[in-house]
Amino acid sequence: MTFVPRALIAEVTHRCPLRCVYCSNPLEMRSRSGELSTTEWQRVFGEAAALGVLQLHLTGGEPLARPDTEQLVKAGRAAGLYVNLITSGIGLAEARLEALVTAGLDHVQLSFQDAEQAQADEIAGTRAHAAKLELAQRIRKHRIAFTMNLVVHRQNLGRLPQMIALAEELQVDKLEIANVQYYGWAFENRGRLLPTREQVQETIAIVDAARERLKGRMRIDCVLPDYYARFPKPCMGGWGQGLMLIDPAGVVLPCHAARIIPGLSFDDVRSKTLRWIWEESSSFQRFRGDEWMQEPCRSCERKTRDFGGCRCQAMMYTGDPDATDPVCSLSPKRGLIDAVIADVAATTSDAKWVYRINPSNVPASR
Amino acid sequence: MTDPAPTRIPRLAAGCRMTQSTDLGPVLLLPESMLRLTGPGPRIVELCDGSHTLGDVITSLQSEFSDADPAMVQREVLAFLASLNERRALDFV
Repeated sequence: MTFVPRALIAEVTHRCPLRCVYCSNPLEMRSRSGELSTTEWQRVFGEAAALGVLQLHLTGGEPLARPDTEQLVKAGRAAGLYVNLITSGIGLAEARLEALVTAGLDHVQLSFQDAEQAQADEIAGTRAHAAKLELAQRIRKHRIAFTMNLVVHRQNLGRLPQMIALAEELQVDKLEIANVQYYGWAFENRGRLLPTREQVQETIAIVDAARERLKGRMRIDCVLPDYYARFPKPCMGGWGQGLMLIDPAGVVLPCHAARIIPGLSFDDVRSKTLRWIWEESSSFQRFRGDEWMQEPCRSCERKTRDFGGCRCQAMMYTGDPDATDPVCSLSPKRGLIDAVIADVAATTSDAKWVYRINPSNVPASR
Repeated sequence: MTDPAPTRIPRLAAGCRMTQSTDLGPVLLLPESMLRLTGPGPRIVELCDGSHTLGDVITSLQSEFSDADPAMVQREVLAFLASLNERRALDFV
């Protein structure tokens, strides 16, 4: 069976003006000095397109922290890719927004932390909310697709109706309501972020009603926390099956968190071609197919749909990256997740936030 | 939904465009998703460039697929455009 990558997540920098407590970047970040250059990214986008990739997601950190974002957009389009910019929007002046649109940007995904300024700024660790509101109105004046990305968790789910109303007011094409996924910085803060079961049920009802009401005007995507699911998510659509991520220094990963799995070595685009990494490297082959699976996954009829769930979550909770994702109700380790949920239900955590750090303050690492 | 008037102009929504994939053939690229186009799909999408009315699109397809029943062609074009509209991939200007 051959797999063709369709999307490339390009983490072009780990630098970011925000310090969100649920950032999906790894705890150990890349410094500016190790970042791929404009011409290196150009070459990589061409290699990706030749492999079958159709969509490019420019993300970070904050992709606008690089001075060459417009050139990266242009390079993506020149390679024939659909270009999506995932941004906090901070510091995006009108002239630069226009330059990005002219360069061929197809879609902007602007993140919001809350509907209320004080709470939003607390999560972001900086004053950002007001600037986002101002930018959203300017984005809408350009002919590009506009998605509002709203990360939700225990602290803000009570304001979900207000957040949906904000999306309507800003006339976005799509609202993405994404529950925090508990990796990296979010895992550090899970005691304060994981919603209760009641909140999750309420979310489903609110989203269903909003979808019905806004049909044909605004699309709503909703990601629920997998801790409350009966079966795991098909993480990244299966390891190395349709997606790849390239970090700021050019290391190619099957997912955001893959680095936490011991014994894997990841190759980078400076020393290997993207095709070789996708097709031949041991890290991308490690969890393809079902050879690696243990029971209950191996004989499970769902294995072609969820691929045993997330390898990183299996690693984090069981210490074994080949184990069944512990969120699965069939996992012998499901009790570990239930214990976390029970903890959340029983306590009001007053732990301090662990804020994401900026890589300019950490030493370069490889 | 009721059928839009034949004078309306179907146009791909912002951030939606067609491309040619080397192994999938014509594909409609949408924000964070894609739609493989088959049969008359690519031709219909091509005509939704903002310069043809819905009536023009239907007439063109009826003449290009003259073996097919014109009423059926009309129904299929309308159903296809309605599905794109529902996905927020197409507007009727």
